[in-house]
Amino acid sequence: MYDVAVIGSGASGGAVAYTLCKAGYNVVMFEKGRLIGRDEFSKDELAYSRRDLITPNLFDEYHTIEEKIDGEWKATPTYESGWSFWNGSIVGGSSNLMSGMVHRLHPDDFRLKSKYGDIEGSNIVDWPIGYEDLEPYYDRVEELVGISGDHKDHPYEPWRSRVNFTQPATQENAVVKLFDKSCHALNIVPLVTPRAVLSKDKEDRKACYYSNFCGSYGCSSGAKGSSREALIKPALATGKLKLMTNTHVKSLKSNKEGKVTFARVVNTITGKEKEISATIFVVAAQAHESARLLLNSANKYYPNGLANSSGELGKNLLFSGGGSGQGELHKDSLKEIKFNELMTTGLFVNRSILDWYFIDHWWYGKFKGGSVEFMFEHQNIISRARKNGYSEGKLVWGEALGERIVKRFTEQKSIRFEIFNDWLPNDNCFVALDETHKDKYGMPVGKLRLEGHPQDVKVGKYIAKKCEKLLEEMGAKNIYSSISSSAAQNLVAGGCRFGNDPKTSVLNKYCQAHDVENLYVADASFMPTGGSVAYTWTIYANAFRVADHIVKVLDKG
Amino acid sequence: MLTRRKILVFGSLMGLSSWLQAKSRASIDRKVNTKVKRTIAAVQEHLFPSNSKIPSAKMMHANTFLLETISHKSYDKDIRRFVLEGAKELEVREKGLFTTLSKEDKERALREYEETNYGSSWLSRIMTLTMEGIFSDPIYGSNKNEKGWQAIKSFGGQPRPNTRYLDV
Repeated sequence: MYDVAVIGSGASGGAVAYTLCKAGYNVVMFEKGRLIGRDEFSKDELAYSRRDLITPNLFDEYHTIEEKIDGEWKATPTYESGWSFWNGSIVGGSSNLMSGMVHRLHPDDFRLKSKYGDIEGSNIVDWPIGYEDLEPYYDRVEELVGISGDHKDHPYEPWRSRVNFTQPATQENAVVKLFDKSCHALNIVPLVTPRAVLSKDKEDRKACYYSNFCGSYGCSSGAKGSSREALIKPALATGKLKLMTNTHVKSLKSNKEGKVTFARVVNTITGKEKEISATIFVVAAQAHESARLLLNSANKYYPNGLANSSGELGKNLLFSGGGSGQGELHKDSLKEIKFNELMTTGLFVNRSILDWYFIDHWWYGKFKGGSVEFMFEHQNIISRARKNGYSEGKLVWGEALGERIVKRFTEQKSIRFEIFNDWLPNDNCFVALDETHKDKYGMPVGKLRLEGHPQDVKVGKYIAKKCEKLLEEMGAKNIYSSISSSAAQNLVAGGCRFGNDPKTSVLNKYCQAHDVENLYVADASFMPTGGSVAYTWTIYANAFRVADHIVKVLDKG
Repeated sequence: MLTRRKILVFGSLMGLSSWLQAKSRASIDRKVNTKVKRTIAAVQEHLFPSNSKIPSAKMMHANTFLLETISHKSYDKDIRRFVLEGAKELEVREKGLFTTLSKEDKERALREYEETNYGSSWLSRIMTLTMEGIFSDPIYGSNKNEKGWQAIKSFGGQPRPNTRYLDV
C-alpha cells in the first residue's frame, strides 16, 4: 500500500511526487505513455511534429467535440477531424514539449469578479485563495524547476519575494534591438520573458544549447524545466517513487465511507488490469482527462461521478482567449540590425508585453485584457516550406514553388506574437462523458463542448491591433493576425473548480475534493478563472502548494 | 471541418472508377501496384521538377519515401487509401495515359484535376508528402546528402534522429 498514488506525470504530478518523496512518503505514479529519456530525444520533425507517436492513436483513444451546427450541438470524434486533444503521453507529459514562456498570474486574476464585476453569459467567481498564498510557490518553481529571466518593475508585473531570477535570461537574437526601439517609439514597455529554460547549468541539467527547435520537442540538455527533468528524476533518486509507465488509470473505486480505495489500472501494452491501493489519491491527468476520470468513477455511492455532488464536475472548462499573428522581416528593408544577425538561429526573442493586461480606455472602457509573447515563427522546416504551397487559392508547384520556398527561407524571417487573454468560463464549455463512444479500454470518452464567450474575441482583437502596429513600426511586411474563439487544446484548465462552498465547487481551497476526503486534483482543473498568461507556472506552483498540504495531512497521521 | 471521412465520401460521390470499388478491401492494402506507383511518381516529378531551386522529387527519391511513409503504422490508414485511390482516379480521368503525357498535357491534366475538391485535396496531400521527404531528416531516405536543407540554408536541429519514427 502506497501513501500516495499520483495519476499523471506532467507538471502537477511531478510537483506532488517530488514533494511527497522528499518528505519521506512512498508514492506510486501512473503514466499512460513511456519514458523517453534526455538522450533519446532528437529534433526529428517528422516523428515529433507530424505524427502521433507520443500521443495515442486517435482510433484507439479520442474525444468527441461538440460544435453548434444549424442551432444544434453535434459531436464529431477526433479520429474524424484529426484534431487531437492529447498533449504528450510520455513521462513528464506536455511539460517536455512546451516552449517554456511563462508568467505568474496577477493578484487581480484571483479576484476577477470583485474587481470587474459580472460579465453576462459568463460564470466568473473569485478564487478562495489570493496571490499571497501562491507567491512562495511561484518562487519555489523559479528555483526548483528553473526559470530564467530578468525582472523589471511594471504596473502589471505581480510583486515577488525574490529580487531577481537566479538564472539570468536566455540569450537573445539581435532582433530585440529593433523590437525594443520600436516599442519605445510607441510608448510600449518591452519586458524580458521569463522562460522555464536554464541559461546556466543546474546540478546535472545542462544550460540551454540553443537548438533552434525548442517548443514541440524534448530537450537534449535537460535545460527545459520539464516535470521529468526537474522533479521526477530527483524524486526517483530518493528511492521513494515507483514510476509505472505504460499504465493507464481507467477508474477510481470508492467505498461507502466516502473514500477512494484503489485505482483500476491497465497496462497499455499487455492489456492486463490491476488494482492499486493508496492512502491518498492525486489526480493530475490534465484538466479534461481528470474530470473524465472522475466521471468514469461513478458508482452507487457517487452516481453522478466521483466528487460531483455539486454537479460542477467537468463544467467551466477553460482554454485561452486570444490568438496569434505575424509579420515578415525582409532582407531588403530591414532596419537597425544586419540581416545575418537576424538569421542567426537558436537565440530567443524573449520579449513579452504586459501593458494591456488591464485596460482603461476613454472609449472602450475598463476591462480585463491580456499578455503578449513575441517569438520567431516556429522553425520547423517542413511546415514552413508547406506554407508556400498556395497562391490565391490555387496550388503552386514546379519552378514557381521552388522559388517561393527558397525566398521564404533565405530572404526573410517571420516574427510572431501570441496573445493570451481570459477564456471566460461559460455554460457551453465543458467536458462530459460521451454516451456512445468508448476508448479501446472500454471506457466512455470525454465529450468536449468548446464555445468561447464573445468578450474573449473582443479583447483579443483589441490587443492584436496594438501588436500589428508594433510589427509595422518594426518594418515588418505582410502582417496579419488571427483571433478566434477556437480552443487551443494545449492550454486547458478548469472542470473541477475550487471554492469554499461544496454546493458550487468540486474542490476545496487545498484542491481536495469536498465529497471525498482522500482525493485531490492537482492539475489546472482547479482554476475557476484562467487569467491571461499561459498556465504552466501556475500549475507547477499550485501543485507544490497542494503537495505541502498533503504532507501536513500525512504527518498528522 | 473537412473530415477525412468526408474526403473519402467526396471520392465515392464522384464515382471513383468502378473497378476500384469492386476490388476487395484486402487487395487495396499493403501492396501498392506498379501502375499507381508510377502515376504518383510522375505527379511528384511534375510538382517538383529538376530545373527548380529546390532538389527534384526524382533526385530525392521522393516516390520511395512516399510509399514507405504511407505504409508505416504511424500513418493514417484512411489517408493512405486516399493517396492510392486519388492516383487511380487521375488515371481514370486521363484514360490510363497520365504518365505518358507531355509536360504541357500533365500540367493541363493536373490543373483540371485541381478544379475538383477531391483532386485538389489529393494534390495537396501529394505535395505535403513530397515536402516531408525533401525536408525531413535524411534518415528517412529522401533529402539525400541534406540537399533539400542546403537549398534553403536551413538545417534540422541537434541531435539528429538515429532511428526512424522513434523506433516505435
